[in-house]
Amino acid sequence: MIEVTFILNGRLVKIQTEPNITLLDLLREELRITSVKRGCETGECGACTVLLDDKPVNSCLILAPMIDGRRILTVEGLTKDRELHPLQESFIEEFALQCGYCTPGMLLTSKALLDLNPSPTIEEIKEALSGNLCRCGAYQQIINAILRASEKLRRRLNYKP
Amino acid sequence: MNRGEFMRADYINLVNTHIIPIEFTYHAPETIEEALKLLREYQGQAMVIAGGTDLIVDMKLRRKEPKHIISLGRIRELDYIIEEDSGIRIGAATKLRSIEKSRIVYERFEALHLAVKSIASIQVRNMGTLVGNICNASPAADSAPPLLIYEAIVTAQNLEGARKILMKDFFTGPGKTCLRNDEIVTEIFIPYPPRDSTSSFLKISRVGMDLAKVNIALLLKFNSNVVEDFRIALGAVAPTPLRILRAEEYLKHKPVNEENLRKVEEIVSEEIKPITDVRSTEWYRREVSKALVRDALNIAVNKVMRK
Amino acid sequence: MNFHVIGRKTIRKDALARVTGAEKYASDIYLPNMLHARVLKSPYPHAIVKKIDTRRAEEIGAIVITFKDVPGRLFCPRLVSTPDATYKDWKVLTDKPAYVGEPIAAVAAETEELAQKALELIEVEYQVLEAVFDPLESMKEGAPKIHEKILLNDRVINVENNIACKLELEEGDLEEAFNKSDIIIEREFRTNKGYHNQLEPKVAVVNPEPDGGITIWCTTQTIHNTRLLVSEIFNIPVSKINVKKLALGGGFGSSIQTNIVVPIAVALALKARRPVRLAYTKEEDMHEHSSFQMIFRFKVGVTRDGRLTGGYMENIMDIGAHQIQAYPLLGTCAGWWVSLYKLKAIKYIGVAVYTNKIPSCAYRGYGNPQVTWAVETIMDELAEMLGMDPIEFRLKNYVGEGDLFWGQGPTVKSVIRSCGVEEILRKGSELIGWKNRPKPGEQKGRYRRGIGIARGYHTSSAGSPIPSQVIDYSGAILKVNEDGTVDYITALIDQGGGTLDAHAKIIAEELGLPLKNVNIVSADSQTTIYDVCTHASRGVYAGGGAALNVARQVKKKILELASNVLNAYPHTLKIRPDEERGQAVIYVEGVPGKEITLGELATLARIKNWGTIAAVESFRPPACPPHFTGYFVEVVVDTETGIVKPLRVVIGADIGTVINPELAEGQLHGGFMMGWSRAILEDLRYSKDTGDIECKGFIIDYKMPTSKDIPEEITTFFVETYEPTGPFGAKGLGEGAQNPAIAAIANAIYNATGIRFYELPITPEKILEKIREKEKREPMKVVAEKLIDE
Ligand SMILES: Cc1cc2nc3c(=O)[nH]c(=O)nc-3n(C[C@@H](O)[C@@H](O)[C@H](O)COP(=O)(O)OP(=O)(O)OC[C@H]3O[C@@H](n4cnc5c(N)ncnc54)[C@H](O)[C@@H]3O)c2cc1C
Ligand code: FES
Ligand code: FES
Repeated sequence: MIEVTFILNGRLVKIQTEPNITLLDLLREELRITSVKRGCETGECGACTVLLDDKPVNSCLILAPMIDGRRILTVEGLTKDRELHPLQESFIEEFALQCGYCTPGMLLTSKALLDLNPSPTIEEIKEALSGNLCRCGAYQQIINAILRASEKLRRRLNYKP
Repeated sequence: MNRGEFMRADYINLVNTHIIPIEFTYHAPETIEEALKLLREYQGQAMVIAGGTDLIVDMKLRRKEPKHIISLGRIRELDYIIEEDSGIRIGAATKLRSIEKSRIVYERFEALHLAVKSIASIQVRNMGTLVGNICNASPAADSAPPLLIYEAIVTAQNLEGARKILMKDFFTGPGKTCLRNDEIVTEIFIPYPPRDSTSSFLKISRVGMDLAKVNIALLLKFNSNVVEDFRIALGAVAPTPLRILRAEEYLKHKPVNEENLRKVEEIVSEEIKPITDVRSTEWYRREVSKALVRDALNIAVNKVMRK
Repeated sequence: MNFHVIGRKTIRKDALARVTGAEKYASDIYLPNMLHARVLKSPYPHAIVKKIDTRRAEEIGAIVITFKDVPGRLFCPRLVSTPDATYKDWKVLTDKPAYVGEPIAAVAAETEELAQKALELIEVEYQVLEAVFDPLESMKEGAPKIHEKILLNDRVINVENNIACKLELEEGDLEEAFNKSDIIIEREFRTNKGYHNQLEPKVAVVNPEPDGGITIWCTTQTIHNTRLLVSEIFNIPVSKINVKKLALGGGFGSSIQTNIVVPIAVALALKARRPVRLAYTKEEDMHEHSSFQMIFRFKVGVTRDGRLTGGYMENIMDIGAHQIQAYPLLGTCAGWWVSLYKLKAIKYIGVAVYTNKIPSCAYRGYGNPQVTWAVETIMDELAEMLGMDPIEFRLKNYVGEGDLFWGQGPTVKSVIRSCGVEEILRKGSELIGWKNRPKPGEQKGRYRRGIGIARGYHTSSAGSPIPSQVIDYSGAILKVNEDGTVDYITALIDQGGGTLDAHAKIIAEELGLPLKNVNIVSADSQTTIYDVCTHASRGVYAGGGAALNVARQVKKKILELASNVLNAYPHTLKIRPDEERGQAVIYVEGVPGKEITLGELATLARIKNWGTIAAVESFRPPACPPHFTGYFVEVVVDTETGIVKPLRVVIGADIGTVINPELAEGQLHGGFMMGWSRAILEDLRYSKDTGDIECKGFIIDYKMPTSKDIPEEITTFFVETYEPTGPFGAKGLGEGAQNPAIAAIANAIYNATGIRFYELPITPEKILEKIREKEKREPMKVVAEKLIDE
């Protein structure tokens, strides 16, 4: 057993775990963060995406001890005071989900993209999403949702009361 | 049907990607020195983990079953891209994503920039390292052809000291390198390519995020109208990434015209030793290698003209 | 027609849960005190288990079951056909595995790690048998026998030559039809073995209840058939089994049958007397289900003036090691064929053949994409031979309004009452620029563009006026709450297309409710009435039919009660959605003040002891109306690498009344992406060396398109029709959304290169090979020569 301390969605978590536990397992099995989905568990599908120090990573390919002292964001942490993140709103408004299994991963990858690049081009969005598979084939709607969210965010930034 | 084959193939019950179905002790040293000591202490049973994007999959698949894992993640002194007079040094813990975003790599080592950008997804590049990519020694490793044409030098260290390995000597077979099991690669040095040379990288794969069916990197420099320097390397077409010296020799001091191009293509398709596997066929790999040679050359020539 | 919610843009009811991560899929269910299970799978494609020793696994505390511990009676995991048409050859765990990955034993332990250890401690001695991977080989004398005896319903039958089942059909005088033909074309087609690749791997969580009953949370497209099957296998009364309805992380046909994880987890839970969770990994999932793989042989006649005369079709289906109702598929394949174009005489031979491969099941389209690919290729070829425009040729021969349609094989037929085929083809050809398309094979140069067209359809449900071999009905319960909302209770599962949103709209429309007042409540097999399954694009049409009918009943009751309160005749009352009050208001037109909200009425009904306003409806769709689609695809082929890329895609659809335009559009996009994948990428190829699939279950080598692989442009449109038998005129869409995609892509590749491909997938390897056979590699412009000249 080793102890791992990290910040999960803004809250400090201290947990005893084995070193051969993946971050995905730690989040789901120990902490019941079920928005982080189990897909291929080999780094291909992106369903398990979380943000590690603001960067998207595949939680299925990270050992629990590797996140000691670091920051993790999941979709549970996207919503602040029950207020949806513009990306969440836009995914709803653009019908950017079908079965919804890829959605949490898609949202987090998109968030990391918009954080660094508030006005991405379509090509940049496609590039950013290439590690998040959607078998329902909602890519176009997801791209539209990201464009819409980007606009919302820009409007918000310019907004001066 | 070969029954003997089946007898050995009990992977179906050993593989479990839900978990890491083996147990190991995890070490997170903070200095190279400490890491080397651990590696020596558990020599033969220990493996180094950088990003883990290869190693963790390999453990889930039971291809690798180390008893000790030595993480490079906490060794601050290994995460860098340093510009020097004669080239750049990239540390073993430097993430692929940092290399992709590096200005100097983009400006001076375009083939490497493109190769790194073509690896997997942003997620994987945020975790994986360049050094891990070559240490894993996949014949399809995208960073290998560029590193071969730039004639990179790998520094490997053990408790006794450091040694320099030329890129061309680094790979010894699929999944095999010339590293000893008490050595850690600490950095890769990449000399600047000759002034006024250009380089390019191309990759053929099945979908937008994929391993290569074939990849290629080349470097080209003209002196007036003839080729002064030409280097070419391909991946996924032989047990190791391959530099095609015979093609390089052929094109030197010659103009790039249809006839010479044909000849270079021909030499390349003779020198490579592709196989048929789940991703593609031997025939196809040989055939598209020609197209890749031509395309990569065209791109490089175009760039020269634009300069 | 003027609707207040139908056809309008409204947000998905499940969207909030899905974007906040709150949605629960079967893989998200954790029970206290639960054990984790793993399955021991056969490493051989064909073997007999001689000895199995589980002692060492048990010694470390694992619960272990083998084929000895499960009921031995054969079953079929899919219960959509009637019993007399159902072949059974499955066991929960077997001692005679017939494909690599077939479950032999299973373990459950406190953690997954421990379960894995236990699994590795089971010792098995196999007698390895010869295996066969090709259906034609499999039918030959002397081929290894995969099954000796199986059941048809309850009757034991012998399997001959590995033929699982057979269907032959004949109508009209084919010989005469061919005699009257000016051109007769003969072609053979081979399809690929696809994997659904739904993102959520199969999973079952089972809780044994104290009264001997069990509760199940699992990936499924049908909670009721799951409970029926578990009851059948384990001989537990149906009423004691409860299957929970959950969100499904993609189905595409892979959970029409009950996935094998369910009975295995049940067996473990019964033995352990504790909750058990069995979650497959992606690799295991890929060894659990795949598509059928077919060899088609066609012979079709046509007269010089472009009328089809008759046709012969042979369909040799590789079904893998077990039947998942392959028999009805033999029928539907015939149906998909004869319902595309009018043929005066037909002969059809369908044979389903066992091989030592992963069992095959429905995969979006149930054979239709494959048949349509073959037929639409032939139509293109014939049009060219006749010198006719391919679109005009199709319009001359298609099965349309007034014609008989085979919705689900020869026993499910109804007359087409709504059809927008002509409009789809006319409008689509304009949008894509059909007139300006290149002549096939005449292009030069490295990159060649081509436009292809294909049309198709799918049935909406397996309904028909008379009983058939397919079970098809839906159930709905609706009750009015005191706050003026209604609870809609249905067993029907939404695979992600938004089916239940459509139902909510149908109910809101009928009851004059604001859409937000329709609650889709959680449900399970105990609290719902029977719904067969979400398949056959029946969700909106058949399930929606149930929703409409239950709403009609409730409306009648509302009006009756309101007539007492308002002192007016029931049939004069009207209901309107009152956005201000957020309620439905029942009122008398022209008499101000004579009105009551639905909430007030429901409250009054309680206080006055009139009872709850509620209804139950079990609804059998009266027909199987086809929804039609037309695909126009422009591709570019790189003749140096064989790589094809989609440029522009135009998809037109006739789905009757469009209830959810945005969601319907989503289906078309998804349909194209899946069709693209199946046309050029997907194939579970077998390795003779390992007897396993080449990719061994890893999706790193079973690719699907990514965001970078989408076309530059997808345009969709809906033509206006009204299906008289559908709820508010609606039909289905899920499968028609994809069916003609493969064919259109293949025709586009032909248009670009002049080469026809008769084997799927059409990979760059195959394309380049054919191009090289056909023409010499041209010298490409070398930019450097310019450099030299200057
Ligand atoms: C989904 C997916 C897609 C991928 N796609 C591509 C692709 O398109 N192209 C491509 O080239 N690769 C691809 N890869 C592989 C790529 O991610 C890796 O090769 C990566 O670069 C390895 O770096 P790492 O830091 O993660 O290595 P690790 O997994 O940490 O290590 C890999 C191996 O190298 C050894 N090692 C690592 N660092 C050192 C060191 N400093 N000294 C000695 N030994 C060391 C480890 O012991 C291990 O054996 C893909 C991987 C995944 C999971
Ligand atoms: S589950 Fe991690 S990438 Fe698929
Ligand atoms: S919405 Fe189903 S996988 Fe993306």
